[in-house]
Amino acid sequence: MQDISPATLLVLVPLLPLVGAIVTVAFGRLLGSRAHLPAVISIAAALGCAVVLLAGTARLVGDGHGGPARPVEMITTLWQWATVEGSQPFSIPVALRLDPLTATMLTIITSVGLLVAIYSIGYMHDDPGYPRFFALVATFVFSMAMLVAASNFLLVYVFWEAVGACSYLLIGFWFRKPEAAKAAKKAFLVNRVGDFGLAVATFLLWMTYGTLNFHDTLSADGVIMPGILGQTRLADAAGYVGGIVGTAICLLLLLAACGKSAQLPLHVWLPDAMEGPTPASSLIHAATMVTAGIYLIARSCPLFMACPDALTTVSIVGATTALVAGLIGTVQNDLKRVLAYSTISQLGYMFASLGTGTLLGFTAAIFHLLTHAFFKALLFMGAGSVMHSMGGVIDMRRFGGLRRVMPITAATFLVGGLALAGVAPFAGFFSKDEILASLHSRGWPDAHHEDHHAAAQKGYATHFHLAASSPENAAVQGENEPRPLSRIDSPATFRTLFWMSLFTAGLTAFYTFRAVFMTFTGPTRVPEEAGHHAHESPPVMTAPLIILAIASAVSGWLLFSTHALANFLAATPSFTAPAVVATAVKPAFHWDLALQGTLAAAIGIALAAYGHLGRRSDGPQMERFLGPLQTLFARKFFLDEIYTALVVRPLEAVAFIFALFDRRVIDGLVDLVAGIPFAVAAVVRQFQSGLLQRYALAGVVGVLAIVVALAWQLRG
Amino acid sequence: MTTSLETFKLLAPEIALVVAALVALLGAAFAGLRSGWLVALIGIAAAMGLAGGLPAAGTSIISGPITIDGFSGYIRWTVLVAGGILALVQGGDLFRSAVVRGSGLSRGGTCEEAGTFLILLAGLSLVGIANDLVLLFIGLELISVPTYILLALKRTDARGQEASLKYFFLSLVASAVFLYAATCFYGLGGSTSLAAIGDALRSSDPRLTGMAVVLLPVAVGMAMAGAAFRMAAVPMHFYAPDVYEGTSPGNAAVLSTLPKVAGIVVLARVLGLAIQPLGIAGEIGPAAQIHLSFLWHLAAILAAITMTVGNVMALVQTNLRRLLACSSIAHAGYLLVGIAVAAAAAATRAERPFDGAAAADTMWTIGLGGMSATLLYIATYVVATAGVFAALAYLGHVWPEWSSGSGPRPPREEITDVDDLNGLSSTNPVAAFSLALFLLSLAGIPPLPGFWGKLTLATAALEVDWTSPVTFGSRRAWFVALAIILVLNAAIAAAYYLRIIAAMYFRSTKKGVQADGGLAAGVGMLVCLVLVLMITVQPKRLFTPAMRAGAAASNVLTAADEPAAADEARLVHSD
Repeated sequence: MQDISPATLLVLVPLLPLVGAIVTVAFGRLLGSRAHLPAVISIAAALGCAVVLLAGTARLVGDGHGGPARPVEMITTLWQWATVEGSQPFSIPVALRLDPLTATMLTIITSVGLLVAIYSIGYMHDDPGYPRFFALVATFVFSMAMLVAASNFLLVYVFWEAVGACSYLLIGFWFRKPEAAKAAKKAFLVNRVGDFGLAVATFLLWMTYGTLNFHDTLSADGVIMPGILGQTRLADAAGYVGGIVGTAICLLLLLAACGKSAQLPLHVWLPDAMEGPTPASSLIHAATMVTAGIYLIARSCPLFMACPDALTTVSIVGATTALVAGLIGTVQNDLKRVLAYSTISQLGYMFASLGTGTLLGFTAAIFHLLTHAFFKALLFMGAGSVMHSMGGVIDMRRFGGLRRVMPITAATFLVGGLALAGVAPFAGFFSKDEILASLHSRGWPDAHHEDHHAAAQKGYATHFHLAASSPENAAVQGENEPRPLSRIDSPATFRTLFWMSLFTAGLTAFYTFRAVFMTFTGPTRVPEEAGHHAHESPPVMTAPLIILAIASAVSGWLLFSTHALANFLAATPSFTAPAVVATAVKPAFHWDLALQGTLAAAIGIALAAYGHLGRRSDGPQMERFLGPLQTLFARKFFLDEIYTALVVRPLEAVAFIFALFDRRVIDGLVDLVAGIPFAVAAVVRQFQSGLLQRYALAGVVGVLAIVVALAWQLRG
Repeated sequence: MTTSLETFKLLAPEIALVVAALVALLGAAFAGLRSGWLVALIGIAAAMGLAGGLPAAGTSIISGPITIDGFSGYIRWTVLVAGGILALVQGGDLFRSAVVRGSGLSRGGTCEEAGTFLILLAGLSLVGIANDLVLLFIGLELISVPTYILLALKRTDARGQEASLKYFFLSLVASAVFLYAATCFYGLGGSTSLAAIGDALRSSDPRLTGMAVVLLPVAVGMAMAGAAFRMAAVPMHFYAPDVYEGTSPGNAAVLSTLPKVAGIVVLARVLGLAIQPLGIAGEIGPAAQIHLSFLWHLAAILAAITMTVGNVMALVQTNLRRLLACSSIAHAGYLLVGIAVAAAAAATRAERPFDGAAAADTMWTIGLGGMSATLLYIATYVVATAGVFAALAYLGHVWPEWSSGSGPRPPREEITDVDDLNGLSSTNPVAAFSLALFLLSLAGIPPLPGFWGKLTLATAALEVDWTSPVTFGSRRAWFVALAIILVLNAAIAAAYYLRIIAAMYFRSTKKGVQADGGLAAGVGMLVCLVLVLMITVQPKRLFTPAMRAGAAASNVLTAADEPAAADEARLVHSD
């Protein structure tokens, strides 16, 4: 492999799935039942490339014990897309980047993508749109890989839209089903709100920084033009704009992230998106696409560090979403919808973690992103496996004791559930613990001084040291000054958010095990739609489940105990901004937090067991217990209704008026104008009598009339 | 009027056409010749070869009653190219004696038709080079008389005879009217030579000015009427729908193209009377100014009316050939715009004589002048229109709707209505595509040739007197209004052209289109298709000769005048 440069590999990761998609589209009919081959092979090859890149990047980063990480990045510029010369030259290079964050994301995308593609061979086997599905999956992997590898806000925007389009097409995959078509439309429209934020943010970034590149570029005359997230600007403490403009940019980026990652108030599309094929839900709406918002904020964290208010808003949005979605999830009866709300909730955790504005928070968010990708993909595929053998039924109330019918699915689903609930030693436990720790460190800053001192002794720069050594460092200085009480990023805020998150952890455990118990335990109940299908899914579907179950079981412990991921990610250029590095702490395991988290999970599981284990009495009991809250949760806090009343209905009313105006007035005018020639024609026609003598007469008289009139006129 | 050997040399192409005509006519009578249209094609090819051997069109030769210059060269080449295409269209049964007999169509006599057609071409070519009222009139009659014969020969049913009679009588009226105009000009100039009449008209002789005020409106008006008949412009347009409907597609193709060229030439010659030849200093007299002013007012008014009348009438037509007749009326209006622009530009120059360099900078660098635009337009129009009729001739007939249970299959019917083309894109995709392209070109959709024609016309109209402000009634306002009317008309026209395309592409039919009109017509259609595509790809190769020809007709120096004049013949040749 010596011949192949990293740059080539980096290009191959998105390119291979694109080729796979094109081949599938071109020869899909010809391949017939083997239409999955191009997609599976190309994504597998892309995974190979991504793993080689990950290993190479990891070697560059080193073991991470030598003090603060040095930024590691590699840029490949494929071609200049648009170039405008002038006083403020504007150029959009098609540039791909490789750094620890991108390498991690690429590996997640291609590995989950590959497993989903393999699983789909079984799941989609007799669907008439078989080739179309694989073409879309391959296109999605291409777009998503480009999104995380792009080194330019405009390219990010392009592929932000591209993944949205893939999502739209996959949600509406069974477009003959009205619900699916409606859900696809809803997802698209709601996402437009977020896309609008990204577009305006891009404009503002261009206005503010004069470039859209992440990386530094060398102009023709050898001057370094600092990119937005380039190392020149990162090293410059005053490189980032705060104040109103900075906050506006950050809030708009947050709006974009809320759209793509289904956060309040734009989360409403994700539950409906479950109308799509389950493998697509698993890949796009659980593991990868919905994490694009996390990626975007993590990538642009230096911008957020200059705007503490925006950063705290991220946390508030995230924790609130986590809580609300968790509450709704407790009363859902549709297995996939439980998982969908759980996804929203877990993404909320990641936002809450990002919003702490600490290195721990950022790496914890990505850590959780990774473990969540594995266990949520596993849970979705498990749900898909159930759905597949139950003849398309997904209502948990009609299931029971399925562990006897489909043991592998049940076992792997249980592993995924344990990971999601945050039970040690499964993956979710460790990543959730990190998130709670990051929130805790902001809520009780004094309790973590020990960590800072320890970190300082190990060579990590802490904000105390930095403040002393570089007094001109305005951003960091701002961190130290006592803040006015009205600021929202006070410890009190984060204390509230911490307790909310802890409560949500309990909720997570409750709804997860409610689903597990309702579906897989108790007396065996199989819906009649299942027919002869009621058996374990074929190996092509269970094999990915087993692989993901192993990953969900061990990845958390592996990555946490060695701190490999945190150290690796710390070398991402964005995370080496002084303001971020200043928050670095010694990696530690927080026994107290782990205990609290485990306690919350245990209470949740216990409640679920009390309500649902063994007995089939969910509905009345829950209702009695929750009272009117049951209705509130079941109706999703009436958010859909509120949006309908506040946004959809007024818009429809305006549209109706405009449509009426258009049809009656505008079209009427147009018809009137178009009618004039016909009216004239009706008159002119009269002369076309077919009589020769009239023709001659009309001709001669006509000429004479004009001649006489003109002659008379011109003489005067 | 001296006639030398040199004059005969210059007339060689026309002589070749006449010889071919004699071969066809006499061969049919005495030698049992069957393939008259083959003879016609050979004759046209020979004429092209001889025309190519003539002195380069950039030079100007006046020999007796004829003038050879850029303008007449352009006209001659247009005529020969169009004649070649039309011969193919007419000779739908080029190698077989007749494909369809019955229903009064395509009855024998193809050699006679070919002979008369060749004489028609020779007459038109003579009109192009005539420098004398008598020769001009003879040329015009050489167009008219063969046309009567063609119309009468092609169809013998009542409708065909009606059409031919209508054309005959109205044409007589038009000829008489033109002859009246000719006598008026003779009275003014005391000579039949156009050059001599022009010299007299441009002089400042007060006696002549007094006479001109009375005679000129009549002369210009009558000449315009005569030209209007040939161009099918208002108010002499009435015959067009009836005649087109009553004759064969091939004849309709001839009628809608060749006489229009003759009309343009007549108007260009009338206009040229008031323009100082190149190299002669001095301003034109008041009589010539009246002449120009009268001409452009008349042309502009008729242009506006003709465009509008033609287009709105076409909108309500369902009969395909009536529709195309109305469309050809509308195109006559567009052509008149260019004549009006050329006359107005000449009037402007006469009032405010620029020195040459400044004129070249301010007036003539932006676009083509009015005359050049007209010449460009006529070429694009001829190619597209001939193509449409070629396609119709090639398609020939449709089977009526018929199911096997309802008795014997009814006979084929000639394509008459737009509906007869329904679903053509599936039954004959090549013809449908070609037709669509021709119609889009006629509608002026970029980047097809018709678009360049309309664009240059509108640009030329907007350039008239363009340094003065647009005030009500000013010359500039007239032409701004004319340009607006032209563009609006183009929009109206798109409606009915697109209706035909919609019928071919978006409707289905149970009728089978036969394509029984003969292979030669199909070849003619393909030749037009190739020409349209060539002009689309390289419009410059038509722009350059059109510009030079227009400049020669209106005696204007153009920036493009100097370079590569020798290339011109070859450039046109390729078209």
